[in-house]
Amino acid sequence: MASLAASSISFQPPHALATSRVSGLKLVSFMNQGRNSLSFGLRPMPARVRISCAAKPETVDKVCEIVRKQLAVPSDKPVTGESKFAELGADSLDTVEIVMGLEEEFGITVEEDNAQSIATVLDAAELIDKLCSGKSA
Amino acid sequence: MNIRCFQRNFSAAFPPLVPLQLPSPMETHLWYILPDEVKNSALLNQYSELLSPCERESVSRMRGDQLKKRALLARALVRTTIARYQTNCQMNPRSLRFRKNLYGKPEVEWRNEDNFNPPPLHFNISHTSAMIACGVTVNVPIGIDIEEKQRRTKNNIIAFAQRYFSPYEVKVLTAISDPEVQRQEFIKLWTLKEAYVKALGKGFSAVPFKTFTIRFRDTTMRNFHPPESSVSEESDIVVESSEDPTDPANNWRCALLEVAGSHYGAICMEKDRIAGENAPPKLTVWKTVPFVEDVCVSGTDAVLVLGGIIEQ
Repeated sequence: MASLAASSISFQPPHALATSRVSGLKLVSFMNQGRNSLSFGLRPMPARVRISCAAKPETVDKVCEIVRKQLAVPSDKPVTGESKFAELGADSLDTVEIVMGLEEEFGITVEEDNAQSIATVLDAAELIDKLCSGKSA
Repeated sequence: MNIRCFQRNFSAAFPPLVPLQLPSPMETHLWYILPDEVKNSALLNQYSELLSPCERESVSRMRGDQLKKRALLARALVRTTIARYQTNCQMNPRSLRFRKNLYGKPEVEWRNEDNFNPPPLHFNISHTSAMIACGVTVNVPIGIDIEEKQRRTKNNIIAFAQRYFSPYEVKVLTAISDPEVQRQEFIKLWTLKEAYVKALGKGFSAVPFKTFTIRFRDTTMRNFHPPESSVSEESDIVVESSEDPTDPANNWRCALLEVAGSHYGAICMEKDRIAGENAPPKLTVWKTVPFVEDVCVSGTDAVLVLGGIIEQ
């Protein structure tokens, strides 16, 4: 743990969803899918820092459909917002194909740093909604 | 007497693990399991006993028995393989601890104990539904990736390459008229690019696929290798970074293999400056069933070098 003698420190950890800089006090720690970016925190943080709200149900459904098709998930196995790609058997090529399928379906471009943070159907749906609303704004 | 060593040996539940010599500098050891050959449920239970509670939980969350088995074998392979490379004494594979680096690349977390010098081991794993592989080096980072030769993409290959690969790579793929050959070359290129990114260990977003090019380059030295070494006659594999032409990609050596007749495998490792740049990297490959048997398959049909200067 660093002790902060200086009055303010500004730092941008990789993969952080938001920066935090408060003079004289503390920086917060971010956990991105279990990877510790930085730990100067003096208070516990939730496992994931979410900025966006839950995605639209129709987006989630569409993502589930694309994931199910890419991974050839048998119809008796559920695919929901909580489903993690890795747990459904996706390897890196599958994940990239899924992202490409989502780009085509929704007319968006997903940059690598965003793509890397997608672990679940819900992650993908939230990102899509964010990118789509950004487009029409 | 080394008390710690004694404690680690006291694991009555497991058969002993045959210790291994560390790879030499610029040598890769590649271990692979064929899951279809591992059916004994007592053995699978033994593997399960090796895992940390966290790993066991991850395995249980995989959807479906085949995926669970795959995840279990992957952890068992990593734990037993690394445990066997201990230089001082036999380490209990169950007591190894792992963590992820800043970017998510798995690594061993060695405990800081007196008189314990951890071996400078690096490892990386990859798996498909039909194979689990683990590459091991000393001193330098390694990345590996395997894909089934028959792997098909859902997306059109050229569309995919245009989206993710470098312009040169798109050109090379587009120039291939036979769709089957094009598909194979795509898969080979994918595994090489994945292996490079995994070797760097900084995550997909730090080195987007578009920012570097993998190319096969004919070497002029082919005719000068002594006849007794089985050095690849194929071209060298070069990584060129478009973002930093001043060279960082030249630090990396890549090799492309066909493994067990069914998979393409790519290995990427950093050059070991101390060992000498001009020594050709060596490769030794074993097919293994942890606790049961190792079969060295280097130099057999199970390992064909398709690219990269590497000696078996």
